[in-house]
Amino acid sequence: MSEDNPFRIDLGKLRTRNKDASLKTVSRSDSVGEKHGFVERAPRKKRGRKPSPRTGQVHAKVLPDVAREISEEAKRRGVQQGVLIEEAWSLYKASQEN
Amino acid sequence: MPTIVIASPKGGAGKSTTAILLGTELAHAGAEVVMLDCDPNRSLTLWASRSSLPPRIAVLSDIDESSIIRQIKSRDTDGNIVIVDLEGVASRLVSRAISQADLVITPMRATTLDATIGARALQLVAEEEEALDRSIQHAVVFTMTKAVKSKQHKGIAASLVGQGVDLIEPPLMERAAFSAIFEFGGDLRSIPPQGNMTGARDNARAFSEQVYKRLTGEG
Repeated sequence: MSEDNPFRIDLGKLRTRNKDASLKTVSRSDSVGEKHGFVERAPRKKRGRKPSPRTGQVHAKVLPDVAREISEEAKRRGVQQGVLIEEAWSLYKASQEN
Repeated sequence: MPTIVIASPKGGAGKSTTAILLGTELAHAGAEVVMLDCDPNRSLTLWASRSSLPPRIAVLSDIDESSIIRQIKSRDTDGNIVIVDLEGVASRLVSRAISQADLVITPMRATTLDATIGARALQLVAEEEEALDRSIQHAVVFTMTKAVKSKQHKGIAASLVGQGVDLIEPPLMERAAFSAIFEFGGDLRSIPPQGNMTGARDNARAFSEQVYKRLTGEG
């Protein structure tokens, strides 16, 4: 055999065949595979909430009414109390720069 | 579109080499070939990155068990060929790919270990045929064979044929050009000469012709 006698493909002969890909078929295929040890090996994605980037901590004792107001404002906005402290700190820094 | 799945749970059996030789030869012969790289080692993707791809070949990477069926279906058109290269492990991805196959090829070296582990793919195909109520053509090709067949090779071949397994002849021999294709990319016509190039091309072409005959019902 050589390039003088090339192998040519008749594209007309390459016909598509209908292959069922329904959930039922996939499920059957999975069951058969599992029976022979062909099991799910794809790495599982981590479920749940991603860890917060807020790993710093402050130790603040404030007057009871200030604590209550901070708590209510955080609940109203749906954020952690730390977010309010970050915002207050930004304002403080900005005021120091002026 | 004929979908060819290259499957063996045994690593190092020559799946990616078989996929590339088959894909490049079929493309050279005029077919549009889409190759799906389902191996986390990304062998086909690495090959594809070495140089520009030969004409009529596309390589898709990072196919996993959740996308394999969709990827095969989306390329399901007449006149094209899809080749699926799988990882050498027993995974759900393998069984799902087989469920969409027109032809499953199991490459194996002519050793008892390869034959024993490769036989798991044969069993899986047989059971999937029964469960899905459709025939799935299946064949074995020996890889990395020597010019002189060992007793072990002859024994395994006789055993497979005796069990009714379709053995593709010729086998893919151990050739410098077949391994060098991963170094240079491209196909057996574009890489720098490595050993007996005419022999390598003839071997790959004859193997691919036999695969084509099975796809068209002539084999």
